Amino acid sequence: MFAMFIDEKACRGCQLCLDVCPTKCFVFNEETKKSVVARLGNCIACMSCDYLCPSGAISHQDHHVVKNFYRNIHFSQRMEKFL
Amino acid sequence: MSGEKIRLNTEWLCDCGGCHVALVDLHEKILNVLESVVIQKCPVLTDIKDYPEAEIGILTGSIRTEHDRHAAIEMRKKCKTIIAFGTCAVYGGLHGAGLAHSREEIMDHVFRKNPTTRTDFIPDSGITGLEKIVTPIDEVIDVDLYLPGCPPHPHFIFESLKTLIEHHQPRVDKSTVCAACRRTMTKTDVTEIKQSHEGIPDDDICFLSQGYICLGSATLDRCLAPCPNHGIMCAGCAGPTMQILTEPNRDIRTEVADRMSRLTRIEKETIRAHIERSAKTHYAYAMATKMIGNKPTFLIRKWIADVEAV
Repeated sequence: MFAMFIDEKACRGCQLCLDVCPTKCFVFNEETKKSVVARLGNCIACMSCDYLCPSGAISHQDHHVVKNFYRNIHFSQRMEKFL
Repeated sequence: MSGEKIRLNTEWLCDCGGCHVALVDLHEKILNVLESVVIQKCPVLTDIKDYPEAEIGILTGSIRTEHDRHAAIEMRKKCKTIIAFGTCAVYGGLHGAGLAHSREEIMDHVFRKNPTTRTDFIPDSGITGLEKIVTPIDEVIDVDLYLPGCPPHPHFIFESLKTLIEHHQPRVDKSTVCAACRRTMTKTDVTEIKQSHEGIPDDDICFLSQGYICLGSATLDRCLAPCPNHGIMCAGCAGPTMQILTEPNRDIRTEVADRMSRLTRIEKETIRAHIERSAKTHYAYAMATKMIGNKPTFLIRKWIADVEAV
């Protein structure tokens, strides 16, 4: 099932995901100073938040993966060997 | 662990030696490792000059001299699994910044025209030849696994060795230094970039929000963020994040500029140009790898010439 997670410990509270999300999926919890996924149904899996998040704290599960044509396949394969 | 112990070789190419010290930094946990592993060749522990057969080979450092090349090839022949250990082995490391100069320029500055010594000749015996450029080891031999970090934090070393010993699939952690930093990122009205020596940064607020260039958001976390948590901006020593390495349109300077311009009132272009002016510092750890050095937009020599022309 499609899901989106924010690693709370990693979230620095910058709200950049709120700024960049074209479909307003996130809200900011003023008490904890962390972002929260509020409207998952809105998500179009554009991955803008994933790319912009300074901590790499946002992850998606079971989304439709679009292969970027410009991605360097050789380097990408190398990434799978990272510890 | 039961049965025969796993044989481990380590070899030290061109680096500072910190990666070998990091292995010892496992503290008591090294005893857990030694229950399953027997250390054979290890330049800081054992006096073995040749290369015995082994299951795991840890290579630290990059290839800068002819000896480094020979040692890497020998290790590949004798070890079943080779781990490129530390930033130098994975990306070329700090001395990868030598890429910004020719071998002749470096030899001139170090030997012929060194401003602090009287020597004016290049030594021709007793040392192995300097190669033309710094090369990460995977351009010379096949590498099975990579563990960047300068040096990798013992937490990651232990986890990695554990997965290897217990034959688990390694779990790649894509989080950045920001994920382990305790500072809060807030939007500010800062309008100017500050040098690290200017002013006293607030301990609780993100460096980017305060106008200081910090590479934390563009750097893979293999350190648990000791620098930003102790008041020093991240220098990017563990190398860039996966998205920067794999996608030609993303780069250290553009990623940092993008985030910093959203957090402050400084223009994205201003930040990008600022990082380019000090690119030899910001790209030092990773510029020797083709993943960064071959990006069509990475114009290090032009940037240096531009600064020198002013």
